[in-house]
Amino acid sequence: MSEELRTSPIETRGLAGKKRYAMVVDTRRCIGCMACQVACKAEYDTPLGVNRTWVPYKVVGTYPNVKKHFLPRLCNHCDDPPCVRACPVEATYKVEDGGFVLQRYERCIGCRSCMAACPYNARFMLPAHRTYTAITSVVDKCTFCFHRVTQGLVPACVQTCIGRSRVFGDINDPTSEVSYLVATNATQVLRPEQGTKPHVFYIAGDRSQMEFGRDAYQRREVMDQERRMFERNFKA
Amino acid sequence: MGDYVVFHDVSWHASYAVYFFVVGICAGLSFFSFLSWHKPSLRPVREKSAYLSFALLAVAGLLLISDLSQPLRFLNVLNPAYLNFTSPLAWGSLNIVTFGLASAAYLFMLRKGDEKWGRTLAWVTALLALGLPIYTGYDLTAHQSRPVWNTPVIPVLFVALAVASGSAVASLLAMGNEAARNMLRLYLLWSTAAVAVILVSILGTTNYGGSAEELTFIVLTTRTMGAIFIGLGIVAGTAAPIAMLLAPFGRRQAGLMFAALLVLVGSAALRYALLMGPQYVQTLY
Repeated sequence: MSEELRTSPIETRGLAGKKRYAMVVDTRRCIGCMACQVACKAEYDTPLGVNRTWVPYKVVGTYPNVKKHFLPRLCNHCDDPPCVRACPVEATYKVEDGGFVLQRYERCIGCRSCMAACPYNARFMLPAHRTYTAITSVVDKCTFCFHRVTQGLVPACVQTCIGRSRVFGDINDPTSEVSYLVATNATQVLRPEQGTKPHVFYIAGDRSQMEFGRDAYQRREVMDQERRMFERNFKA
Repeated sequence: MGDYVVFHDVSWHASYAVYFFVVGICAGLSFFSFLSWHKPSLRPVREKSAYLSFALLAVAGLLLISDLSQPLRFLNVLNPAYLNFTSPLAWGSLNIVTFGLASAAYLFMLRKGDEKWGRTLAWVTALLALGLPIYTGYDLTAHQSRPVWNTPVIPVLFVALAVASGSAVASLLAMGNEAARNMLRLYLLWSTAAVAVILVSILGTTNYGGSAEELTFIVLTTRTMGAIFIGLGIVAGTAAPIAMLLAPFGRRQAGLMFAALLVLVGSAALRYALLMGPQYVQTLY
């Protein structure tokens, strides 16, 4: 991104001497195995009913010509994140070198402003009781596996992706694979009109999943199942 | 068929709408207590409004704190080292605290009977009270990705709702005093009319918006949410009281009381629908 397009001082895309991590999701390669979702759950012991990454799908076409479209989702680690602006106590912040949007659990008051500000539903409230950790009743989200990336590893979801659908790297480095993929493919981001400058780029994403569809008003059975599971888990 | 969508919880639950309702009345009553220094007809509601406003502020504060998932960390919002001034909540918390301090000082002067300081503090308290509906509205407006919330008139609507619900409660407090009742009837009528105009503009722009706005319009106008928003909020809580207040019946004590109760029910329903309705579509994204 050129200097002229940088509208906020928090943005680090194209900033010399700074890393700006990004993920490219090639939906043509996604087989919907959900291994990324499982790897993430295993990495962070994410409770039932909430996810740092998830893979919704949509069946399109008419029998026998039907196809499943997958759209892996996660925090977009926006270059101009509205959640950072909305947090009253700076519990959520952006790491300048790398562009990670992270959470200070010990400072979060649980007002859910960041959840309301996020256009991507990437944030969730942790339940009051968890087995292996004392981090409870605060907002949580994907960290782009900050702890792994700072040690030279890729995020857990990228590591486990069997189809190499997820590719991770520094988009400020013109020789990186993500830079190459973004430069040579038509890519889309989720809800670009929000001006958040997301850093998860999709190749061949299905439009019916990337935008609000008219069928969003129809309540689906799976939604009720999910809602029941969520309520049961969070009351426990 | 066969679609898989992950369920997302709404960010703010109904308790936040109760907070909006209580803090709106609190701000409205504070305004009428201030006004009583300049309109002699409102003199009977001066102390009652100030005391009730302060009591409701305590209720609102408790509601706000209990709504946090980490209630004891509310002190973080008052820690200058943590405050993030790009967040409307940070400004709101400072507004509430300063309003509480000014209200306490104002009540002290009222008890003491100090007219000079009472008048000055009434003005300061009313100015800070104006900030309460503005900040709560701005709290929603700042979230530009949410339909309806993102319309810039939400803070203005919340100010109008605060005056409407404040004048409704003040009307109930002024029962029996004809001069105060006549004055409050006018405030109730015009503030409710302002709410109606703003609601028409919100509904119009929402219906002509993008797909998220259109879906939100459908959510707000049909099924249970439609019954709350259109039925209770607009028909019973806005249109009916306006008609009643314009009719001869509305000039009588019983008519004003009835209209005031309808406005209270309507303003609670509107706040609930405006908070919850626009979050529904997002839960499916």
